[in-house]
Amino acid sequence: MNTDAPKTSFTAGVVTALPIALGYFPIAFSFGVAATRAGLSGLEAFGLSLIIYAGAAQFLALALITGGAPLLVSAFTLVAMNIRHVLYGPALIKRVGPEARTKYAWAWAFGLTDEVFGAALGALARGKVAFSEAFMFGLGLTAYASWLSGTALGAFAGGAALQEYPVIDAALGFMLPALFLALLLSILSKAQLPVIAIAMAVTVAVTFAWSGTAGILSGMVAGALTGLLVRRGDAA
Amino acid sequence: MRLEILSLALIVGPCTWAFRFFPTKADLSGIKPDGILARFLASTGPAAIATLFVASALPMLKGGVPLPLVIGTLAVLAVYGASRSVVAATLAGSVGYGLAVWLL
Repeated sequence: MNTDAPKTSFTAGVVTALPIALGYFPIAFSFGVAATRAGLSGLEAFGLSLIIYAGAAQFLALALITGGAPLLVSAFTLVAMNIRHVLYGPALIKRVGPEARTKYAWAWAFGLTDEVFGAALGALARGKVAFSEAFMFGLGLTAYASWLSGTALGAFAGGAALQEYPVIDAALGFMLPALFLALLLSILSKAQLPVIAIAMAVTVAVTFAWSGTAGILSGMVAGALTGLLVRRGDAA
Repeated sequence: MRLEILSLALIVGPCTWAFRFFPTKADLSGIKPDGILARFLASTGPAAIATLFVASALPMLKGGVPLPLVIGTLAVLAVYGASRSVVAATLAGSVGYGLAVWLL
């Protein structure tokens, strides 16, 4: 048995998802707390996590709901915010190559969040795992379970749960940036430095000039377009 | 569950699923390895993660770069450099940030 062969199992997906689960739980907890603080019931908070399952959009949904935005305006804003996800499937499948199976993608792609995409790409780049649908199910379900349980606990704890613990609140608030930075380091290559620099610069500029959602979309597209200048064989 | 919240979830949730699922069925077999689309897709990952890091850290800037943000970021860099572990680096960054907020 070759123990050095890349793992493709459900368990390998679960193991790869551990950093996401560790990061998701406190963030989802914060979401549950914020949702109940904003006047949502525990069931409503859990329902948003269960059905939408997109962290940034869920936090924005709270702001829109409490701000009294009309339903269709809120829906359009949140849908526009999640459009960036259309890039993840093709990028992942292209990274894997022709052997990528997508028979059950209708199920595992539900869990293809920013972090799951980043973790899958990082794990594949490091060569310790190889793509399989079982791997994607392990990765996605672990992250989803963490997100749902964190939301449920946060909603149960209630809106005042973290008010007396500002240091813990602050530490939890940095969990998501820390996770993204660690994921970025895991897929970093010298050839992609211009891509990363342009993506960051455009995100900052457009966020300050227009909005956070526009900044995210612009940064991703500008960075990916910069990749057109990366020579063959340099790409991550 | 209020109807307006359920409706919002039932519009946004399926749209998000569609954004994640349908592109996985795109036929990529005709893409040349050195073609424009191949290079665009290869750069999508780093660009997306870099963008999301900046977008998640930007709200923490308050007229400058707060020291906890610097310490948290350095903790991630140091621990990832030493361990190559995403888990350890993420936790170290969070703990470093929290400790800095507490001590400063």
